[in-house]
Parts: sequence; structure tokens; C-alpha cells
Amino acid sequence: MLRAPAEIKFAEELDYLESIDTSPKPFSWRLSPRMVRIFVLGSDRADGLDREIPQKWFGDRSFVERSIVTLASDRGLLLIGDPGTGKSWLAELLAAAISRNSTLVVQGTAGTTEDHIKYSWNVSMVIAKGQSKESMIPSPIMTAMERGVIGRFEELTRSTSDVQDALISILSEKYVSIPELPDDDNIVFAQPGFSIIATANSRDRGVNDLSSALKRRFNFVRIPVVTNKKSEAEIVRFRTEELLRRHQIELELPPTLLDILLQSFADLRAAAASATSDDEKLESALSTAEQIGVLEDAILHSQFFGDSTLKAATLASSLVGSLARRSPEDLAILNKYLHGVIEPRSKKDEGGPWKEFLDGGREAISTLS
Amino acid sequence: MSPFDPLREQLASAAETFGAGLIDDVEQALRTDVEIFPVCHHSPASGLAMVRRLREKQPKVIYLELCEDLRPVLDELHNCKLPVALQAFATDIDGFPKEWAPLSVVAPITESSAEYQAIAYALETPGVEIVLVDRSVDHVFQWEPRAESADVGIEIGDLRPGFAALEEHLLHHGKVRHWSEWWDQYVEQPLSGADYETYRQVMVLIGSLFRRLKPTGNEVDEDRERYMWTRMREHLAATGADPADCLYVCGAFHAASPVMDEHLDISPRTKTSWLYGLIPSSHSAIETQFGLAPGSVSIAAATWDKSLKRHGLASYQLGSKRKGKAPAPVESQGLHAFLTQPPVLDGFDEAELLGWCVEIVRLARRNGYLASTADAIAVFETSILLAGMRNRKRPTPYDFQDAAVTCIEKDVVPGRRDVRRLVEIMLGGDKVGQVGYDSLPPLARDVLDRLKPLGLDLEKRTIQRALIDLDAHPELEPCSHLLWILRRLLPDDAVRPIMGSRRLGERSHQESWDLSIGRNQRSIIELGYEGVTIEQVLEQRLRRAVWDPKATASVALDAVEDSILYLGSRRFTDELGARAIQLLSGERTVDDAPDVLRRIRRLLAHYRATEPELPEWAKAFVTTGYAHYCTLLPTAFVEEETGVRQVGAMLGFLFTMESLALSLGCDRAQLELAVQQSHPTVPAKVALLWTARYQLGLLTMAELRELVGELLGSPLVVPSVPQYVSGFVQALESAPALAPFVVEVLSRAFGQLPDDVLLPWLPKLITALREQAPELVPVLVREAERTFPARLGDVDSFTPPWLAKPSSRRAVAASGPVSELLAAHPATGAAVGELLGCEPVADLNAEIGALLAAYPETGVAVAGILA
Repeated sequence: MLRAPAEIKFAEELDYLESIDTSPKPFSWRLSPRMVRIFVLGSDRADGLDREIPQKWFGDRSFVERSIVTLASDRGLLLIGDPGTGKSWLAELLAAAISRNSTLVVQGTAGTTEDHIKYSWNVSMVIAKGQSKESMIPSPIMTAMERGVIGRFEELTRSTSDVQDALISILSEKYVSIPELPDDDNIVFAQPGFSIIATANSRDRGVNDLSSALKRRFNFVRIPVVTNKKSEAEIVRFRTEELLRRHQIELELPPTLLDILLQSFADLRAAAASATSDDEKLESALSTAEQIGVLEDAILHSQFFGDSTLKAATLASSLVGSLARRSPEDLAILNKYLHGVIEPRSKKDEGGPWKEFLDGGREAISTLS
Repeated sequence: MSPFDPLREQLASAAETFGAGLIDDVEQALRTDVEIFPVCHHSPASGLAMVRRLREKQPKVIYLELCEDLRPVLDELHNCKLPVALQAFATDIDGFPKEWAPLSVVAPITESSAEYQAIAYALETPGVEIVLVDRSVDHVFQWEPRAESADVGIEIGDLRPGFAALEEHLLHHGKVRHWSEWWDQYVEQPLSGADYETYRQVMVLIGSLFRRLKPTGNEVDEDRERYMWTRMREHLAATGADPADCLYVCGAFHAASPVMDEHLDISPRTKTSWLYGLIPSSHSAIETQFGLAPGSVSIAAATWDKSLKRHGLASYQLGSKRKGKAPAPVESQGLHAFLTQPPVLDGFDEAELLGWCVEIVRLARRNGYLASTADAIAVFETSILLAGMRNRKRPTPYDFQDAAVTCIEKDVVPGRRDVRRLVEIMLGGDKVGQVGYDSLPPLARDVLDRLKPLGLDLEKRTIQRALIDLDAHPELEPCSHLLWILRRLLPDDAVRPIMGSRRLGERSHQESWDLSIGRNQRSIIELGYEGVTIEQVLEQRLRRAVWDPKATASVALDAVEDSILYLGSRRFTDELGARAIQLLSGERTVDDAPDVLRRIRRLLAHYRATEPELPEWAKAFVTTGYAHYCTLLPTAFVEEETGVRQVGAMLGFLFTMESLALSLGCDRAQLELAVQQSHPTVPAKVALLWTARYQLGLLTMAELRELVGELLGSPLVVPSVPQYVSGFVQALESAPALAPFVVEVLSRAFGQLPDDVLLPWLPKLITALREQAPELVPVLVREAERTFPARLGDVDSFTPPWLAKPSSRRAVAASGPVSELLAAHPATGAAVGELLGCEPVADLNAEIGALLAAYPETGVAVAGILA
């Protein structure tokens, strides 16, 4: 499997947690809220476990607590934030911990229809046998309702308003009626434990705004961009190691290069914050996910085309390659950044990696422009 | 024997020493002859324990850890609404670096604090003495050299790990977000019902722990402790008080002191003169100053009220006649039992939480949220779930806050306040204190007295609207005058004129003001440290401004203007004026020339309108200025740093004040020489020089036109033409009569410049005009309006005046036989005219004559008027 869902990847951890969990569990939850928190945020000595549970999502603990509690109440959970802040990852972890199934996902797009949320029909079976429960194809959300588990809706605001509104009745009445079926069997009721975790991108605000009726049925948890350097470093290291394991690459990630990456993103974010127009800032959101992307790109590049050691120059060219999306605006900003910020720094830090980073960046920009 | 055994032993003994040290500290603190009462700031538990202890012990002397020289201010507290802060303030400093001024020390006091309880008890109970024993504010600055001079906050019992990693560790394992929450959950709540002995032991233990884990040394703290003990022993010796009747209230940190028996030779204070007073404070101000989490002081205050009620205690309050009874004894628990047993928490208060849920939904609705009863239910449920997840039996205000944010906050905040802030407001809100009239400094009382005729309650914190009709009620004139001075001295929003203005030569008939004096009490009180009356403060400020080493002539002229407007003292105005002359002649740059010109013009206009003769200083200023600017003119023309605007203003000064200066004995030759010495190279300045020469008669208009024509004709200079034009525009300052010429130049530039020069320049011209010479724009626009046709239809036949033939001069009618003949037979002339293409001119006289003959009454009426 290229990428195992969280419940398979951490199956052993989840089994362990379930075996020692003595606290009351809401509905059909597989773990108690406290254990869900331990699963997501990692364990402390104070939790009294006899093995360590690593931290999987990095961010303010109160976000996680609020999310778990929301799922235990009868409202849906809407994770909202900039792209790349780990919303979907948190949703996956929560679904895996609570119901051991994080794959009941509907991806919201402009082409999502109500059928994707409720049900559709297997046309050939309908022709052969007529409409019945057998010829019906339930959507992931309906499956989640029937099983009493967590359903996920990714990028809720990308789908159109009528599709979004189909969720209202699911979230408040907790059933879906199927008028095509005979009267005695035409309603699918949600089992206890059913809830929805939706994610929405705050950059898409205004594209398909949520109606207030739907807003009322969701609790919003806003996930901010990580700006704390220490936790960002942890996230980048954690995710990159995972990626490296997946590609089976043995490669050392030098701490100085990680520092360079974090520092340059911090600089670019500061620059974007002080920019007055869109032309003066990079199109990229400069999120943590983007940093991981840059690092992954650099690692793969040096693995397959280099000598298997990560160099500052490779990192710089990956950075330029990933962030320069518009020509000439983004290139101009990166050029300005390289010469206005990196160059003085490389002069001060004689013999350090910044010089190499600068050269790599220059070369990448000159190839692109 | 393992090779690690020695290390193991060493570590074990270190741990033992550390642990035993903590217990030793506790024992020592409990053994002292003067009873030590350890407190922590804004801790309701401390406050409760204090109330209980005071009611029980009824001490005769209370020693308090607070700057000893703040003692007189305490007596004023009974006039105030808490929270207020004791303030010590010094502007005249002696013995500290000059750049520290003004020095300010602020010690806020809230009602829930233990120290206020002690103060209130001591002041309200006859025969009880309160002695402040901490170092004086002067020593605060002597001992703790600080780089900045911002407010220094002082509080009793600042108890917080001085060791960031420890705090982080405690927060992480306590599953709380900030220090106030940790304290509340792990110390405050368990201690609120504890007996006195347990309370003392726990507090000393925490103090001792933090003390031992402080990374930077405790030298300053130990010195402070020596200071306090020295003072206490001195007091005991002097009064012969029985130590058993005394209570020493100090922060828990100082309770675990190893230097209690040591003596300190107290150094004398510096010569800085300190002023003391009370200023209003607020919960949010305290939170900001001491880096507490927002809302924590408010939550502490709410907890205090609740605990008082629950334990049936009556707090001490200044000015209140309530007599509390002795509290019921609490069962003793002891430190060991306390630390090893889980805390006895009071039961879950469902009614309170329900009330909060309903209230927050109501508040949210009022602030634009679409919240409903369903949300109240969800908040309730979520609070309980969150508390359960965080290992708490009952939701704390912090859990409730998180729950409310989760359930009510959506993607946008509809109003001014978000849910987090609303919860803070609901749980007590930001309480703002007020200093009563009697405790105000004389200046503030004077201000309130003098504004009394307005008939407004100025102590209210809302904005008051004052309407002053100066024509109908001339007796309100002094109020208006005072308001204008306050406007000059106080921050912007304290007094705001809505209608009416005060400038030289203006007088308002009606004024309307928005006053928020109650809200800006602190600013007014701080003015009180500077003088006894508001006028005195203004006078001092103006004097300080002009004698500042960085003062310039323009600053001094500004001060002169303020003095005329607000103070009206001729002697003082003259003093400021004399200083302005001194500053002007000492200036080596002309950066301020535009300001100087504007201000002196205004002042001269004022004097001409109001006084028979210009004051001496004004005359001297003009003559000095004339000579000064003449001297600097040649360099200003050449120097790169000096802008066109500055040179323009210099010329403005020289030319527009010329007649006055000449009448006062200046010589024009000086100016002529100065202009002749000037050889600018920058185009804009060259243009300025040309206009100066034109004004001096060294250049005629025809020559000037020719110069401009050459500029426009030469392809090499064309790109710099815009700069010349800027120069001409600046010349309007000195020669308003040149306006037609400037319009002409602009018009020709528009007509003849190539697009690649003209188009980039246009926006720059507009912004430059707006920024640098806003007062010149109307002159220019008016002139252009006069020059150019107003209607579209006239544009085709429009000939600019500078292109028109000088034929406008009327030809002198020749006389002689030929002209007489032609006059007698006008038809000839008309025919020739017609032949040449002129419109035939109707004989106006004949028509008018006929009309008048037909209506003779017109003539009669006109004759009547003229008679």
C-alpha cells in the first residue's frame, strides 16, 4: 500500500490503547475521549501508560480537545484553516481513533452532487431487479450513518450550496429517507456514534459560503498556521521521516539545513505579511505542508540525481522550484529575497551553508527566468 | 561496586538536600517571632485566608511588603473605587541617568487581594498600625537599573516560576494553557477551603521551591528581605510592640527567606523628588502590566466574590460599616495530608453553569452572532465533556470559555468582540477603578471645579457632550478656554471639539465638545504631578519645549502661538519670542524654513489685527530672519540637502517681509548681493533663482519668457523641464503675482513636452503639490480658472493671453480733419470693416436713445435715486 490509512498504520497502537482503556466511552466509540487525545497528541509520563505513544498531530492541545468533545456531542465538526495546516490529517487521526475507519470520505468539489452524499443506484441492477436496497449504492456518509461511525467530508466549501444543504437534514434529523423504496423500508437511520468531520479551506471563503442553517449544525475549530518554530521543526521532521520511510530512503537530514528551511519560510512569511498588494507576495500560502513538500523534493532529487546527501544548493533549487508559480512576480520576489536577505546573511556567516544555499537559489532562478 | 555508585550517591544526596531544604524553609518560616503571612497576588485563596486570619488574630501591627514611602497614599484609598494603583512619579530626577525620566512606579490594588484586606483592616480598626517595610521607590530604581523608563509595576507576592522550562513543564503536565489557569486549578481551588496552617505551609513550600529553582541569583531579593526585616526590627524596637501581636504580610517567595536575621545598612535616597498619588487602574491594565493571561484578574475577582459567599465571610472594605463575625474554624489538615490527599473540591454547581450558558448566548446574540437556545445546550454539554476530558470534576471558567468558543464561534466574527472576549466580559468583565474627588491632586480638582458650570457629571466614564453657546452665555467662556488647554495637554480622545476651533484670529460663537474626562482620569492626575494649575503645566511644557537642546525656531514660534492662544501672558510670550530669535540665529540649516514662514506670517497678521504696534520680539525676529536667510541663501541654493521647498520658503520670507524689514532698518542691497552670489545647478532651484531675479528687477518678464522658451525648445533639456516647473510653482510662495506666468509655463509644458516626459511627470506633480505646497494649489487653480475658458464652446476660439498680440493696448484715437470726416460719416468705416470681414457694429447709442424715449419713467426714477 502506498499510503496506509491511520487506522492500519497505527493499528497496533490503537489496539494497545483500547486494551487498557477503562474510562467510559461515548456511543459506539472504540476509545474514550481521553485515549483519543493521547493517541493524537502523544502520551506523557503522567498518563501512566507502560509504553510511549508518539505525538502525531502538532498544534495547540485545546484544538484537539475541543474537536473530540464536539464529536461526542451531537454536532458535526468543521475544521477550518489555511491550506497545509494539517486539517485533513487531524480529521483522519480522529476518525481512526474513534471508529477505526477513516476512509468514509466524500471529497467536496465543484462536481460533487447530492448523490455523493446520500445514495445512488446501480443502473443495471435497477433494470434487472427494480429499485431495492440491493441495487442502491450508499454514499460514504450513509455508510457511516448505518454503522454509527465517523464520516468525513473534505473541502466542504468547494461543493455547491445545494449539495452542502443536503447535509443539514443528515446532521439534524440523523436519517436519510429513500422515497424510491417501499414505505416500510425507506429510511436509513444513523446509529449512535455517527458524526461528520468536515474540513474547509479559509482561503476559499466566499466561493460557496456555508448557509447559517448548516453553520449552526457544525462546531468550528480554526486551525492556525504553525508559526512556532520549534513545533514546526517537529512537524517537518516527523512528516519527512514518514515520507522517507515510505520511499525507503536512507538519508540523513542535517539539522542546519532544517534550520535554513524553517528560517527562509519564516522570512518569506514575514515578507508576505508586510506586503501591500498581491503582486508583492508569493502566491503560495507558505504553510508547513509546503515546507515538507520542498524538503521532500530536495531529498528525492538528491537521492536519485545526486550523491544521496542533502545539500543546501539542492534545497534552494527545490525551494525556488516549488514557490515560483507565477512568472515574473514570484520569481522577482524570490530574487529580491535571495539578494536582500540571504546574501548579507551568507556574508556574515562565512563558510556556512547559506552561501551554498544562495548559489543554488541563484542558479535555479536563472534557469527559470 | 558499580562505577556509578559515587555518582548515584552524589545525586541522591543532592536530591535529599533539596527536599530537606524545602521543609527547612517551611519550618523556619513558621518559627519566626513575627508571624509571617505568605500571599500570592490576585489570589482569592490568599484573600480568604487573610480575612479569616485577621478576624481570628486581630493583630495590632501589620507589616506589609510595599514601598515604605507610599504609606501616606494609603489613607486616600477610602475615596476610591477599586481597582486603583498607588503611583510614585518623578520628573526632576537627580542621581539617575537623565534619559530615564519620567520615572513612574505603579502598584495596583484590587479588592480581592490579600494586601487590600490587610490595609482595609488596619485603616478601619482603631489602634491598629500598618507599616510598609519594603524599600522605597527610590531604592527600586537604585537597585534595579533598567534601560527604559516605562512604568515599573510593583506587586505584592509576584509568585511565578522564574524558570521558563519549569513553567512549561507545569503547564504541559497540568494540561492547562497558561500560568493563571495552572495556579487556579492546582493551588487556588484546593487551598480555598484549607485551614490557616495548611495554607501557610503550602504557600511557603511553593515560594521556597520557586526560589530554589530561580536561575538568576536571589541577591536583589535577599537584599530586599534584609531591608524589610531591618525595618521591622527598627519598628519593634522603637514602639516596643509585642511581636506576637504583629503580622508580616509578604509574598510567598519572601516568606522562605534565609536572611531573616540579617541587618542591612540602608543607603540614603537620591535627591530625586518623588510625588505620590492614586491613579485609576483596571483589570486589563494589571493583566497587561504583569503579563497575566487576559481575563485572569477578572476571573479571580469573580472567584473571590463566590468564595466569600460560600464560606459566609465578610471581607474588609474601607468606608464600610459592616462588622464581620469571626469565621467558623476549619478543620486542620496539615501539609502532609494536604499534599497526599486529593483536594476536596466543592460540588459541581449546575445552576451556575446553566446561568453562564444562557447568559453567553444572550450576549452573543446581542453582538451579532446567530446563537440560540440550542447553542446554550451545546455549550453546557461541551463544558462538561471538556472538564471531564481535562480531569476536572466541574468545569472551570476556562473550560466554559473553550466550550463557548467551540459552539458559538463560526468562521467570521460578526461584531466587534469575539466569543472569547464576550466570556471574559460576562465573567466579571474589565473592572475599572476610579479615584474619588477628595483624593485627586489639586490640579485635577481645580479642573473639575472650573468645569462645573457646564453642569455635567464629568466623573462618569461615558462620553459627555457639552454644548457651549458663547454669545448667549458669556460666563461659559472660562470653561471653553480651559477645555482648549486640556485639548492641548491631554491625549486625543479625552476632550474632543466637535464644533468650534481655536486659532489665531478666530473666535467661536458656539462650541460643542465630547468630553471623556472620567475615562482619562489617569492622564489628568499625572498632569497634577507637573504643577498646581493647568496653566502652570502648560507654561512649563512650553518652556521645556523651547529650551530643549533639539528645539528649533519653528518649535519656538509654535510655542509663541500656543502662549497667545491659551495663556495670554504678554511677558511669557515675549520670553518665548526672544528664545525664537535666539534659536533662529543659531540655526545652520534651513529645513524648517517653510514652517517658520507660515508661523511668523500668522503671528504678524495676528499682531497687526489686534495691537497698535508689533511687539519688539516680532520686529527683531523679522530683521534677524532677513539677515539670517540672506546669509544662508547662496549656500541653500547650492547645497544638495536643501530642498526646493525650503529655498522657496526662504525667498518667501525675504520678499514678503521685505517692506517690513526695510522699514526696520534692513538693507535691500544685502538681498541683491545674496541673489547675485547664488549659482544653483539643480533645475528647480535655477527656476527659483530666475523668479528671484525677476522680482528684484534684474530680469524682465520678456526675458523670463524667453528663458522658458529656450528650455522647451532644446531637446537636450526637455527631460528636466518638469523640475523647472516645480521650481516655478514653489516661487509662488514669494511672488504670488507670478501666478499668471506659472500657469503659462504649465500650459506650455503640457502643450510642448513629449508624452514620454509629460506622462510620468503628471502624477508626480500632483502628489508633490499636495504634499509640499497645499496652500499654493488654490492660487494656481484660481489663476487657471481666470485664464482658461469656462465653457467647452469657447475652447475653439480661445487664445491664451500670452500668445495674444499686445494689440490689447487701445490705440490712441488720432485727431485731425480725416478722422473728423470719418466720424461724421461712419458708414464708410463700417463698409471697409465689412469688406475686411468684421461684424457690422450696430449703432448702440441710437437704439438706447429710442428705448429711453419710449419709456421716460426709467429716466425719472434714476434721476430720483441720484437726487
